[in-house]
Amino acid sequence: MTGGAWLCLLAPLGGTILITLCGTRIPRVVAAWISTVSCFVAFGGAVWAFLGVQARHAVGPVNPVTFLPAVPGRGEITTAWTWLQSGNFHVGLQLLVDPLSTVMMLIVSGVGALIVLYSIGYMDGDEEERRYFAYMSFFVFSMLLLVEGGNLLLLLVGWGLVGLSSYLLIGFWHKRPSAVQAAKKAFVMNAFGDATMALAFFVLIAHTHSLSFAPNFDVHLSSTAINLVALGLLGGAVAKSAQIPLQTWLPDAMEGPTPVSALIHAATMVTAGVYLIARTHPIFEQAPTIELIAAGTGALTLLVAGLIALVQTDIKRVIAYSTMSQIGYMFLGAGVGAYANGMFHLLTHAFFKALLFMAAGLAIHALAGEQDIRRMRGLGQLMPFTKWCFLAGALALVGIPPFSGFFSKDSIVAATAALGTWYGWIFWVCGVAGAFLTGLYTFRLWFLVFPGEPSPFVREHHHRHGRLEGALTMLVPVGVLAVLATVGGWLQWSPRWTPFTDWLAPAARTLPVAIPTNTQEYYTSAATVLAGLAGIAVAWAIYSERRIAIPAAPFWRRALEEKFYFDLLYDRIFYAPAAAVANVLRREFEEPVVLQTGSDLGEAALETGGLVRRIQTGFLRTYVLFLAAGAAGVVLAFLIAK
Amino acid sequence: MLGPDVAWYVAVAAVLFGIGALGVLIRRNTIVVLLSLELMLNAGNLALIALSRHWHNGAGQIFALAVMAVAASEVCVGLGLVVALNRRNLSLDVDSLSELRG
Amino acid sequence: MNGLVVASAGNALVWVVWVVAAFSCLASGVAVVTFSNPFYSALALIGNLGSLAVMYLLLSAEFVAAAQVLVYAGAVVVMFLFVIAYVGPRRETPWSGGPSWQTVGAAGAAGALLVEIVVAVGMQASGNLAHETKVGAAFGTPAWVGRVFLVDHLLAFEITSVVLLIAAVGGVILGSHTRRATT
Repeated sequence: MTGGAWLCLLAPLGGTILITLCGTRIPRVVAAWISTVSCFVAFGGAVWAFLGVQARHAVGPVNPVTFLPAVPGRGEITTAWTWLQSGNFHVGLQLLVDPLSTVMMLIVSGVGALIVLYSIGYMDGDEEERRYFAYMSFFVFSMLLLVEGGNLLLLLVGWGLVGLSSYLLIGFWHKRPSAVQAAKKAFVMNAFGDATMALAFFVLIAHTHSLSFAPNFDVHLSSTAINLVALGLLGGAVAKSAQIPLQTWLPDAMEGPTPVSALIHAATMVTAGVYLIARTHPIFEQAPTIELIAAGTGALTLLVAGLIALVQTDIKRVIAYSTMSQIGYMFLGAGVGAYANGMFHLLTHAFFKALLFMAAGLAIHALAGEQDIRRMRGLGQLMPFTKWCFLAGALALVGIPPFSGFFSKDSIVAATAALGTWYGWIFWVCGVAGAFLTGLYTFRLWFLVFPGEPSPFVREHHHRHGRLEGALTMLVPVGVLAVLATVGGWLQWSPRWTPFTDWLAPAARTLPVAIPTNTQEYYTSAATVLAGLAGIAVAWAIYSERRIAIPAAPFWRRALEEKFYFDLLYDRIFYAPAAAVANVLRREFEEPVVLQTGSDLGEAALETGGLVRRIQTGFLRTYVLFLAAGAAGVVLAFLIAK
Repeated sequence: MLGPDVAWYVAVAAVLFGIGALGVLIRRNTIVVLLSLELMLNAGNLALIALSRHWHNGAGQIFALAVMAVAASEVCVGLGLVVALNRRNLSLDVDSLSELRG
Repeated sequence: MNGLVVASAGNALVWVVWVVAAFSCLASGVAVVTFSNPFYSALALIGNLGSLAVMYLLLSAEFVAAAQVLVYAGAVVVMFLFVIAYVGPRRETPWSGGPSWQTVGAAGAAGALLVEIVVAVGMQASGNLAHETKVGAAFGTPAWVGRVFLVDHLLAFEITSVVLLIAAVGGVILGSHTRRATT
């Protein structure tokens, strides 16, 4: 079991190191396959760890339907060696193998392996392919470190490393200035979250002198202290998961290659915030206000992101805002205490969102890099496989049964109904409205791109890969994920069977207030499905049949197109004053004092050299004179010494 | 020892050394510089011989003979340089040999 | 009483010879440095070498004195005279040319050296010059020098011969005709 965890963690790292050391000595495709194989090996390790956790401490009869024991196993911590030691503060290189971490390991390594496989076809021909695959393996390693970390410090290390990998991969096409800017923006905003998390950890260390999970989850701090800790953790989660107010980096992160968007900014890294809340839920449960703020943030983000997605014209940005919105759902679920529901949505979201990105990537690849959906009409005629896979992903996203999104999203919204409080009802309304928006923007996208007659642009630029729509390494993962997005949800249907929630119970038990009754489940599902269908219908009416025109509303249109002015606001508040201060410092201090000192020192050295140079007169007699004078001096010294 | 003490001899050697040093430093003709150099070497020889007599140590005289031999060799090479310079019609003025100016 | 008179007469004679020799040594030294004609400087050097030989005799260094006259005055100075004759007449005033501070500096440096040595000697080099050792009659004779050279200081002997060889070779090379470049 623990061997599986170490294998899972170290295989991608080994892949990265191998690719880096081989450098240009191996062909690019070999580097690609090294990375892919290492991710599949990691998946094997994750399965091994999963089976191990299942077998351990398993008691009671095995459920005949799911073959899982009635009382699943707990976790185990495996330590490699003591890493840090300072006084009575110890931190070991520890991995935690428990139900929550094995679920994340399976998702990260499984979906990651599929996406890296897809990248082989997508990045084929790029000159810096080896660097890309080294970074991808490094990212998988970092994300696995984050989820497998056996103490808070390793979690933070993984947290930082995924931020680094994200920066490296967003800015992969480093000759493009927009990509470089986007990478910097992502990194800086993530750094803000890292800082708040570190501050939270400092408070914890001050009280418990430890960063291991167990002592910190049992700690009883004053209410201010625990609220500060929870707030710091929430800050990190909000930054990493691109929730309001730290969400502006995610749309710009689409500058990276499409597989990067699929892996990092859809399936795994941005969901780390949800994982964090689930993992540290004992701390959040002691700070219920902060947990409520988390839920509120999620609710707000899911609405705002859904609205902004309505006006986006870049295919990847629509899907990016959709990601932001769905993570809002996950935050909502985790914030009200339904951790398992949030994690289940994380699982299904990984499937269908990666599917959507990769199908979009097939379209982008076939159109030689075009990403503007206004030009892409009628692509479905030329690319049927992509059309159907994208449709499967879209239906899963909107939450239409029997696709996977239905099961996970509805359970979250039902949990908000179970709260019974006034804010619970507000969250419920947000969730249902979000379903409507999701239907609208998703099918706006689908209707604009796929059905109908191909546009002149599409006819002119479309090209096939032999007889197929894309390379085989691209089509296979898309197909696999399409199947998973369709049937994956049947793992858990909250009213009837809940193996997923049971599996996660030892690690992240759902709060009793957030367990809805079956009635609440049913009417919630009805409401969200109807809202989704309504959204699809409106999209069909506007974009496909052209029966209704888009309402004018110029003010709202401007606001949405400017992404609710967040970027402008941050520019005014943060960037402009900092730039002004920097300019003043440069003018007043750096140029006159610092730089001048450098050139002054140089000039002084030159002048001294010039003076000393005069000794070399070239006259023999002068040199002999110096000899004689020196000899006289030495004799004088001897005389005096005597 | 009859006559002056050894200190007198050493004093004469010192004055002779000073005169030779002055000549090396002031004269511009290469040959005269070499002659002044001979003066300095002889002054050293005188000091050696005097002190050898004072301490009854033969090494002083031996060393003086060696100095004499070395001085002869040095003059040989130095005058060879002068001849070579003259043959190439270069000036014998030491001040003209100033190409190592900084 | 006779011995004392003889001794004191001998002492006086030695003193007189010493004064004459020392004076001519220093005077010829000044002459070497100051004559503007290098030929006259070389001749003055002969006088210097001769007076030094006299002083060596006073110091019981007979062999060295003979060698001084034979080697130095006989060979080295003759070499000088040959080269001066070959090079031709060149006159120059001793104090001309060069940086003006050169003269002052030279006088200063040489004078400083001189003063220091005199002072050291005057202080009797912390008593080292105090005690005089009696020497035997064989001290300074050729046989004695030869034995010391070949028994106690053989290495110096051999090295000196090597130096002389090198100088001879160097002199030949420097003095040889330059090979004409074949163009």
